[in-house]
Amino acid sequence: MEKRLHITPIGDEGMYILDTASWRVYRPVMDKEKCIDCGMCLAFCPVNAVAAVGKKFEITYDYCKGCGICANECKKGAIAMVLEGGSR
Amino acid sequence: MSYIDILKEAEDQVTPGMSACQGCGGELILRTVLKIAGKNTIVGIPPGCMAGAGVVGWNYANGLKIPVHIPLLDNTASFLTGLSQMYERKGRGEVNMIGIAGDGATADCGFQSLSAAAERNEKMLYVCYDNEGYMNTGYQRSSTTTKGSRTSTTPIGAVINGKQQQQKYLPLIMSMHGLTYCATASPSHMADFVKKVEKGLAASKKGFAYLHVFSPCPTGWAYSPEKAIEVARNAVRSNMFPLWEMDEDGYHMNVRNKTPISVKEFIQGIGKFKNLTEEDINSIQQIADQRFHILMRLAEQGME
Amino acid sequence: MGKIKVLTGNYSAAEAAALCHPDLIAAYPITPQSSVVEYLAGLVHDGVIDANLVQVESEHSAMSVVQGAAAGGGRVFTATSAQGLALMYEPYFRMSTLRFPMVMALATREMTSPETVWSGQQDAMSVREAGWIQMFCDSNQEIVDMIIQSYMLAEHPEVLLPVNVCYDGFYSSHLTEGVDLPLQEEVDRFLPPPSFHHAVLDPDHPFALDPLTPGPILMKYRKSHLDAMEKALEVIDEVDKKFGDTFGRYYGGAVSQYRTEDADVVIVTIGGMTGTGMDAVDQAREEGIKAGLLKLRFTRPFPAEKIRDALKDKKAFAVIDRSVSFGWSQGPMHMEVKAALADADSRYCHFSAIGGLGGADISIEMMMETIRNLDAHKNEPGERETQWYMVD
Repeated sequence: MEKRLHITPIGDEGMYILDTASWRVYRPVMDKEKCIDCGMCLAFCPVNAVAAVGKKFEITYDYCKGCGICANECKKGAIAMVLEGGSR
Repeated sequence: MSYIDILKEAEDQVTPGMSACQGCGGELILRTVLKIAGKNTIVGIPPGCMAGAGVVGWNYANGLKIPVHIPLLDNTASFLTGLSQMYERKGRGEVNMIGIAGDGATADCGFQSLSAAAERNEKMLYVCYDNEGYMNTGYQRSSTTTKGSRTSTTPIGAVINGKQQQQKYLPLIMSMHGLTYCATASPSHMADFVKKVEKGLAASKKGFAYLHVFSPCPTGWAYSPEKAIEVARNAVRSNMFPLWEMDEDGYHMNVRNKTPISVKEFIQGIGKFKNLTEEDINSIQQIADQRFHILMRLAEQGME
Repeated sequence: MGKIKVLTGNYSAAEAAALCHPDLIAAYPITPQSSVVEYLAGLVHDGVIDANLVQVESEHSAMSVVQGAAAGGGRVFTATSAQGLALMYEPYFRMSTLRFPMVMALATREMTSPETVWSGQQDAMSVREAGWIQMFCDSNQEIVDMIIQSYMLAEHPEVLLPVNVCYDGFYSSHLTEGVDLPLQEEVDRFLPPPSFHHAVLDPDHPFALDPLTPGPILMKYRKSHLDAMEKALEVIDEVDKKFGDTFGRYYGGAVSQYRTEDADVVIVTIGGMTGTGMDAVDQAREEGIKAGLLKLRFTRPFPAEKIRDALKDKKAFAVIDRSVSFGWSQGPMHMEVKAALADADSRYCHFSAIGGLGGADISIEMMMETIRNLDAHKNEPGERETQWYMVD
C-alpha cells in the first residue's frame, strides 16, 4: 500500500464496525407460525438487523443489540425476547 | 411501492455496528434517511450522538458507505451551503446534500447558520433528530427539552424541579424562513416519515428542505429501550409532537388524532418526567393544546 | 504590462481576487474590510466574474461556506477584520488543519476593547498559531500581486495551506494608490486552475472527511502541517521569482531589505509602516547614522534563517510591532525575531518597539527615536526596555 501522507484527515481504509452483538442480553426470536410478514420489525429496527428474504422477514444476529423494539411492536406477538445463553 | 417495500429494498448506508444505545431513535432515523437517499449522497453529521456513535469514522476508516464529514457543532448548514453550491456549479446538482444533526446543533448553537441557510433557500435536506437534549455528552438540557424534564443540568432539586422553561418549537419557526419544504416526522409513523424524506429530497433540488424528527432516547429519558417507538407514537397521539408539513400549497396536518391521549398518559413510564406535579402536567398540557391549536389554524387556512 | 488603475487597498484585493477566477466568495461586512465584499458583489451582479456569491449572516458562516466549497474542490475567497476574524476562529483553525488552500484578505484592525474600529495588527497576530500562512503588504500594488501569488502558494501540492494576505486597515484598505493591475490573460498564464483533490468529497469516491482521530495519528497530521509550512518558505521564493519573471515585480520572498548592506542598526517593520520606516532610514542616513530596514513580509511560516542572515554583522535592531504580546510587555514579532537569533542577547543590542495600535500613528520621528536609541547603544549587547510609541 502507498504510504499515507497525512495531509487531510481522511477515513478511506474500509469501514468502522463495532461488535454490537456482544451487548445483547436478550435475543429476539421470531415464531414463524405467528408472523404475518407485515415487515414492521424491519421498519422499526434501529440496527437494520431484520433481513427481507423474498416476502418473508428474518432476524439476523450479527449486530442486533437486543433492544426489544421488534418484540414490543409486533402486533401478532410473534417475537419473544429470550435470555442469551439459556434461561434463568 | 409501499414504504415497507422501499425500506426492504434500499441498501443500508451506515456501518452495521455503531455504538448508539439500544433502542436509539437517532440510529433508526439516520439509517432510514440514508437508505432512502442512497449512494449518490454527501452527508454532514456534526458532533452529537450519531457522530459520537462512530458514523463519521474512526482513525482511517469510514462509518458510512457514502462520503461524510463532521462539520462543527454550529456550521452544518453553512458548510453544506458551500458544498451544495460547488456541486451545482460542477453540474452535479443531482447529488443529495444532507445534514443530520441533533437538536443542540440545530436549535441552539447551530441555529444562526441554519436560519441563514434556510432564508437563502440553499439546496439541501436538513434533518434534525430531536431527542430534546445534549444526549451524547450526558443528557444536558437544550432549548427543545420539554418543560419539566429532568436533565443533568436541570436536575430534580430540593428547590427547583427540572427544566423551568417551555420548549422552543423549532419546526414552526423554520417554516417561516421562506424555505421550500418543512415537516415534522416521527419514526413511529414510518409511512409518513418515509414519504416526507422522499418529499424532502425532491424539494432539496429546488431549495431548502427541513425535517424535524422526534427521536426517542431511552438513555436520556429513562425508559426501557423496547418502548422507544411506543414513546414516539404517544408523543404524536398526545399532540405533544404533531405531524404536519408545509409545502408549496401551505400547511397540512398529516395525522389528526380524533381522540388524543392526555399529556399525563404520554409521560407514563418516562423517567425524566417522574417528578412532575399535577400543576406541571397541566402546564405542559396547556402548551401542547395551544401549539396544536395554532397548527390546526394554519392547516385550515391552507384548505380554504 | 497591465492596466494602470487608481485603487484603494480593498478594491485592489477585490480586483485581484476577481482575476483569480474564484468559484465561490462568501463574506460578511465589517469595517474596514466591507468594501472588498461590496466591490466583489458588484462584479458578480454585473456579470463581470462568474463566481457564486453567498451572502452569509456572519464571518463564522463565511469561513464555513468557503470550507464547504473547498471540500467540493472549489477555489474560494473571503475577507474580514478584527472581530470578524475572532468570530470566524472556529472554522478558521479548521480550514488550515483540513489543509484546504484558499486566500483571505485581512484588513488588519485593533481588537476591542477599548471599543475601536481603527488600524492595528492585533487581529492577525492573535491567530498566528492557527496554522495559516500569514503575510503583510505595505502597498496596494503588493496587495494585488500577493493575492494572485498566494493562490499559487496555497495550492502548491507540497503546501496545501490557506493564506492570509494582510494589509493595514484604513492606512492601506482605504487609501488610494496607482496600481498596475495585471490583465486577465496574463494572470491566466501565470495561475493555473485549482487542481487539489486530496480531500474533495465525492459519492464516486466515498470517504469520511475528518474521522475521530486519536493522538498518535493526530500528531502525524500536525507534523505534516509543520513540514508544509517549512516547504512554503521555499515555495514563497519560487513563486516570487516566477511572478517577477512574468510581471517584472519582485518582492524578495519572505523578507525584504532596505539599505541594510552597510547598516549598523536595523529597524524591522511589518506591513504599512514600512514606507514610513524607509523615510526614517533615509533621514537617519542624512544624520550620519548607518541605518537600514528589514521588512518582515511573511510571519507564518516564520523566516528565521533569512532574518538571521539579514541581521548578521549588525549591531542593533528594533522590531516595531503594531500589536502587543500580553504578558511579555513587548511586541510579538520582537519576541519571534529574537527567538530566531538564538544568541541575540549576547551579540546584539535590541529591543521591541510597539506603536500604531488602534489606528494611532507611527511617525518618522518615532522611528527616528528608535534608530537613534539603537545607534546610541549599538556597542552594548543585550535586550533594552520596550519602546512604546505613545501619542500624547
